Amino acid sequence: MPLDYPIHERTLPNGLRVVVSPDTSVPNVTVNIWVGVGSRHEVVGRTGFAHLFEHLMFQGSRNVASGEHFEALMAQGGRLNATTWFDRTNYFETVPKGALELALWLEVDRHGHLLDAVNQANLDNQRDVVKEEKRQRYDNQPYGNALIDVYAAVFPEGHPYHHSTIGSMEDLDAASLEDVHAFFRRHYAPDNTVLTLCGDITPDDGFALVERYFGPIAPHPEPRRGPVDALMPLTAPVRVERREEVPNDRLHIAFRLPVDETEEFAAASLALDALGGLASSRLVRRLVRKEQTALGVHATSWGFVDGVSLGFVVVDVATEADATSVESALLEEFERFAVEGPTEAELEAALAQAERSWLSMLASQEERADALSHYALLHGEPQLINTHLDRLRAVTPEQVRAAAAQWLRPESRAVVAYLAEVDTEEVA
Amino acid sequence: MSAAALPRPDVTPPEAWAFPMPSESLTDNGIRVLSYAVPGQYVISLRLVVPLSLADEPLDREGVAVMTARLLDEGTAQHTSDEFAELMERTGMVLGASVTDGALSVDVDVPQRFLPQALDLMRQALAEPAFPEAEVRRILRSRLAEIEQERASAPHRGAREMTSQLWASSERASRPTGGTVASIRALTRDDIVEFHRAHVGPRGATLVVAGDLTGLDVPHVVETGLGSWHNSSHVEPSPVRAPLPAGGGTRVVLVDRPGSVQSELIVAAPGPDRSAPSGWEPYPVLSFIVGGSPSARVDAVLREDKGYTYGIRAGFRPRARGGSFVTSGSVRADATVDALRLLVDILAKAREGFSDREIRSGIDFVVQTAPGRYATADAVADEASALAIEHLPLDFQTRTLQRMGELDDERLRTAYAEVVTGEWVIVVVGDAASLRDGIEGLELGSVTVVPN
Repeated sequence: MPLDYPIHERTLPNGLRVVVSPDTSVPNVTVNIWVGVGSRHEVVGRTGFAHLFEHLMFQGSRNVASGEHFEALMAQGGRLNATTWFDRTNYFETVPKGALELALWLEVDRHGHLLDAVNQANLDNQRDVVKEEKRQRYDNQPYGNALIDVYAAVFPEGHPYHHSTIGSMEDLDAASLEDVHAFFRRHYAPDNTVLTLCGDITPDDGFALVERYFGPIAPHPEPRRGPVDALMPLTAPVRVERREEVPNDRLHIAFRLPVDETEEFAAASLALDALGGLASSRLVRRLVRKEQTALGVHATSWGFVDGVSLGFVVVDVATEADATSVESALLEEFERFAVEGPTEAELEAALAQAERSWLSMLASQEERADALSHYALLHGEPQLINTHLDRLRAVTPEQVRAAAAQWLRPESRAVVAYLAEVDTEEVA
Repeated sequence: MSAAALPRPDVTPPEAWAFPMPSESLTDNGIRVLSYAVPGQYVISLRLVVPLSLADEPLDREGVAVMTARLLDEGTAQHTSDEFAELMERTGMVLGASVTDGALSVDVDVPQRFLPQALDLMRQALAEPAFPEAEVRRILRSRLAEIEQERASAPHRGAREMTSQLWASSERASRPTGGTVASIRALTRDDIVEFHRAHVGPRGATLVVAGDLTGLDVPHVVETGLGSWHNSSHVEPSPVRAPLPAGGGTRVVLVDRPGSVQSELIVAAPGPDRSAPSGWEPYPVLSFIVGGSPSARVDAVLREDKGYTYGIRAGFRPRARGGSFVTSGSVRADATVDALRLLVDILAKAREGFSDREIRSGIDFVVQTAPGRYATADAVADEASALAIEHLPLDFQTRTLQRMGELDDERLRTAYAEVVTGEWVIVVVGDAASLRDGIEGLELGSVTVVPN
């Protein structure tokens, strides 16, 4: 049965797509903006730029001083941030409803008029901040660069998903003010943006306010590319091994998956759940509880829009176990699954867990607004949030088996192994 | 690109808000039930709180409480660990068990239609855990691996050093809640069985139920699910008290990680808990002003001006009893000494007071974000269970937020100065060889180097 979150939609003459979803349970409104640019749009030599650019959106615009966006909204009880991902960049704030107009005024100032304020000092400062972000989240963390290795192993050179959103520091060093101007003009435009209001506001008031503030931004449509060609599974295994000072061996076993919001992707993600995404998954039963050769097993599937998605299983290998044997056991289970498909209990568990996590996500006004922008921008239809669980439940056990047989074959895997240095003999 | 800009809009003040009040009931076996109706929240959050004092752990078996909590759902009288995991997942529920200085908590989130099954499984985990030998060995082994994982992470390694320096060595709080390598190695199944027998029972427990309760008779559903849980061996926990600080003046401990590309900085002092006699209301505001945002005092300098860090946060961290004021974050390795100098200076200077603008923004941020921070069932349930653990009244949030509106510079300055006396425990996790001389040159206090 579909969910019934109310969703109203309108596109302004300048191309801005507006979604309003009233919810009077809390006297707040969330403003959530998705811009159709992410690291997948970055060109060679400028990786990491979409994310650096996102930082610059907080450093002032025509009528707003550097840092004022954060300061002004937080001082009114706003909670806000922005993130960059492969497929998009998002900007969001949740404010008491009396501060909604201020939030829209601040947003339109940067989404319409950022370039009036960007300067070399801001660029240099935020480049330093982003470098510290990379050191903190990637370089100074055990296994911190593993996913960057996964992307490079699974997707070919030059592919939109071959490099991470944090990008390369050399590329960031090369970024100039002219790049900032060109990037803004190329990607930040009403026709490449979705704005969602979710909270204590009526559709009429919401559309009128967005029209008032965002209506005056001139359209500047640019030719925007469609998705790149679909990728099929890898035809031969890829392997990357790193010897580092890590507490235990960790394997990342990754696969290409079909594009997001397709039956095939839903089936493949349920297959990964049944294999390793649940506490009752067969890899957890065997490797963690029975053989105790793994400390933990976690499977993840990330849906993308550019011709392919990504699935991976992370295995923490127990100290006394051998990583190669653990990998063989895991592949054995993948092969068996591709023949037998999921058990009734596995599919029931995967669907029940998907239901709880989907409902928990939508329970938060902030996350609901984000989901609405997501489906409007990347899949053209925000109503899909109400029917997501029905589409998942319609997947048959045979489709799950077939997806595993096509996408999760041992020969189609990329393995990124972080192995403890042999000669470290540190004892706590 | 556009017509003349619209004028900056005024903000209209928000309506008054209050933290929701629950309906209360009591089960026959003595569990206080707090039901929070949060319409539109279709996933129900359950929080079961069993009062506990970590001081009741045997000294050479520290970590037994956390290990007991982690083993509750790893096999019961009726089900193996595998079966129990499958039963929980087929009913869409997720269960987590944890231990703080004041309680053992079992948290469950579940779609409303599965609530009766979830309560029954919760009872089985609490009342009938079997602690199978193989699962005990596995969970202890994964705790040992987790200790190594934590040692490999600079923030975790730094936090462990900080607590060991902040509290007197006789205090349980100075050692990890989850136990050390030695104490975990000493644990046996018998220790866990005995701890569960003596310390986990329905007497004194509180259950929070939050979510869309339309059509549910909560007292009846809870009685059916948990009513048959009994434990006649359950002993009264020792009263929880604030740990004694180690004292001894400002000192720097440098945890050596050769070649580190960043240094983790932690500057800490003992602080209040939420039952502070002079009131809790200044502390969330102080956290915000000093280190709660990119434009707060710390990051205005260290991030936005200097570009030394992705972000450093300062905040008051209440325990059930006692607490701490901790500022922490990572900085570029070659900027460590200057960053530490600036940080200690900013924290000291805040004793001189705060501007009207800072005070107004701090109060408005904390007060006006409250409706959104407590909008979901899980957030309401988490706060309600924290109130139970800390023995605070159910209207604590509402009253604290009301009093917050009246805070002025003098009150904030006094509250800050009570905690920030100028005596710090400072931990730096980084490359000792390149940092030691520079840090000693700051003359903050003694500098000791310890291995990672």
